[in-house]
Amino acid sequence: MASIRADRLVGAAALLCAASLLAGCGGSGGSGAAAPSEPTTEVKIALSDAGCQPTPASVPAGPVKFAITNSGSAKVTEAELQRDGKILGEKESLTPGLSGDFSLRLDGGAYSIYCPGGAKDTWTFTVTGGGGAPSAPADTSLAVATQGYHDYIVSEVDQLVPTTKTFTDAVRAGDAAKAKAAFAPARIHYEAVEPVAESFGDLDPDIDARIDDVKDPSQWTGFHRIEKALWVDNSLAGMTPLADKLDADVNTLKTKVATERYQPAELANGAGDLLTEVSTSKVTGEEDRYSHTDLWDFQANIDGARKCFELLRPALAAKNPELAQQLEARFTDVVSGLAQYKKSDGYVDYSTVPQDQRRKLADAVNALAEPLSKVAGQVV
Amino acid sequence: MPRGPRLSRRGLLGGAAGLGLAGVAGAGLAACAAGPSGPPSQVVPFYGARQAGIDTDVQDRLAFAAFDVTSTSRADLIDMLRTWTAAAEAMTRGVMVPGESNAAEIPPADTGETIGLPPSRLTVTVGFGPTLFDGRFGLATHRPAAFNPLPALPGEILDPGRTGGDIGIQACADDPAVAFHAVRNLARLGKGTAVTRWTQLGFGRTASTGADQQTERNLLGFKDGTRNIKSNDADALNQHVWVGNEAGQPWIQGGSYLVARRIRMFIEAWDRDRLSDQEAVIGRSKYTGAPLTGKAEFDLPDFAAAGPDGTTVIADDAHVRLAAFENNNGLRLLRRGYSFTDGIDQRTGDLDAGLFFIAYMKDPAQFVTLQQKLGSQDALNEYIRHVGSALFACPAGVPDAHSYWGEQLFE
Repeated sequence: MASIRADRLVGAAALLCAASLLAGCGGSGGSGAAAPSEPTTEVKIALSDAGCQPTPASVPAGPVKFAITNSGSAKVTEAELQRDGKILGEKESLTPGLSGDFSLRLDGGAYSIYCPGGAKDTWTFTVTGGGGAPSAPADTSLAVATQGYHDYIVSEVDQLVPTTKTFTDAVRAGDAAKAKAAFAPARIHYEAVEPVAESFGDLDPDIDARIDDVKDPSQWTGFHRIEKALWVDNSLAGMTPLADKLDADVNTLKTKVATERYQPAELANGAGDLLTEVSTSKVTGEEDRYSHTDLWDFQANIDGARKCFELLRPALAAKNPELAQQLEARFTDVVSGLAQYKKSDGYVDYSTVPQDQRRKLADAVNALAEPLSKVAGQVV
Repeated sequence: MPRGPRLSRRGLLGGAAGLGLAGVAGAGLAACAAGPSGPPSQVVPFYGARQAGIDTDVQDRLAFAAFDVTSTSRADLIDMLRTWTAAAEAMTRGVMVPGESNAAEIPPADTGETIGLPPSRLTVTVGFGPTLFDGRFGLATHRPAAFNPLPALPGEILDPGRTGGDIGIQACADDPAVAFHAVRNLARLGKGTAVTRWTQLGFGRTASTGADQQTERNLLGFKDGTRNIKSNDADALNQHVWVGNEAGQPWIQGGSYLVARRIRMFIEAWDRDRLSDQEAVIGRSKYTGAPLTGKAEFDLPDFAAAGPDGTTVIADDAHVRLAAFENNNGLRLLRRGYSFTDGIDQRTGDLDAGLFFIAYMKDPAQFVTLQQKLGSQDALNEYIRHVGSALFACPAGVPDAHSYWGEQLFE
């Protein structure tokens, strides 16, 4: 008995040694994201009623870790790093006493720190050197991956614009049957790129909000507002301005993605976000609650996630072949689970899929999402 | 500059230093390990010949989960059991789930809600359901002869969503957050290999196994477990609880069978029953716990004693009479149940509450025999119904860090 106890304590001490390394006690405090030759610069942001002043306000280009603390402000509980109106990183829900951090590689240029609720909510943040545009990542296969992702997003949004127009033309013409048929085929090109679209501020809510996402239902716009008109109200009266706005919004998205560049971790995290979309709103049938076309969106989310994985796979396979293999198998499980519900022109009405079968889909998505959440740590 | 959660939830440094290991730990440790020092009694040893959580003094709280294995790969199942064993062992020491919890780019290995809490006497006990021994994993020949699915029993209307499971996990602790944390983290680690079939939280232990633990009360307001098998009664444990070599299966020798029953109590109806009838139904005094033929809780019931009207004082259909080992050829179980409440029954507006009955035994037939009798004759049946059920074979303990839950079953 005594010897068992002693062994256990030796184990405990060994674990604590590991802990001191993990916790960065007395160490460099590096995030692990930086290559050894590139030191991480730490920027502290203390949230207060006054706002979110970054210290220092200017750093050299390279890996940067933002350490955000809230020691007592109930008004300001989040901070976002933005550039040209695009959110690059954020930490939310930091109520008094909480702290958090995020790390990313920054190139030279003008950024801002935004904290809604602060007396001053936008603070200037400058990155010096390193050129004015994001530089290509050093690892060739990752550079190929990020270029491939750019091309994929551009291609999907290129298809989103005309398929949306087919839908909105039918809405403007008052042709409900044609509009219903065009609804899901347009949305799939949006659902595949949703994490990217979400980074452009109001664009995603304007295009894709559900009624419970908006404060004022009279200001509700986008696909789901028209979905309700088609399937519930059975009237397209007053929908023309909404159809026009939807066209304008997807065209804005097209302009924005044309110049957008991505980092490898954004691909990995974007894939994870797509699976979260599936497991929280598609499996439950909340996304397309009037048309029950959820399985089209489900497929599109999975396609978008799989694209990210396929682009990262060469780099991932070199570093962690077991993880790459596991993800491949679990993507296959999800895809084959979904395939049972295919019909000639798409997918069956989701309201006809019983609860126990929905649960099987959810189990397969969850089985995929857990290992997928580890990919970002392998490719930064 | 310490950042992020500490790996240790309690002051392990004190223990390590006491054994002269401070040098191993190093100077950097002090900053990391600073924290409240939990008393050593808050850790129930995980490794041993027998699994903890069976004859362990009953903790205050329960989190139970049944899992279905979705993978058909034996290697996946073994991998999961290895991962689970390491995680459970760490959590019982009050240490975070092994793995990276401080890398900004990936989710922490430990979900984190118990950081700062003491180990709270956590035990995590595993059992395998009869369905695990079907053709999927090549285990059919390892099924002990006694290990059959429970037959249909009187007194039950079972909800399939609260019944069965390939694997059962019983997590008990004195803090509900610690018990739930264990189940939550194992469920997460099992993703891709197993899915959660049902879970049950329990509060207010309704049984005592410690020789000096006071007898608790169930939601009927009566003491429950007065005559339970105590942890220091080695003879009774060997006779009724621990499986011996009679099973012909080495992996279960030193283990036990776990029967879980979700017993709904119609407490609103019970609360409207007059005191004298409540006591007649149970066969004991509500307040002292004494049998109706005695004065104190631990007085032996006199089942033959007759009252002034000539009938027995403890009625023919009284719960204690039907359940007493004297009237069942000496048959006993080790009970370890908890009260539960899960909101209201939407059909009636009544509280969905009752007893999550857990019992350990040498042979599942012990429970079957008792329930066949109680389910058909017990006066208490007017106020209870068994609505969930599961049977698990709990293997012997994990001897050390080289082994894992059920290793002998897979060798």
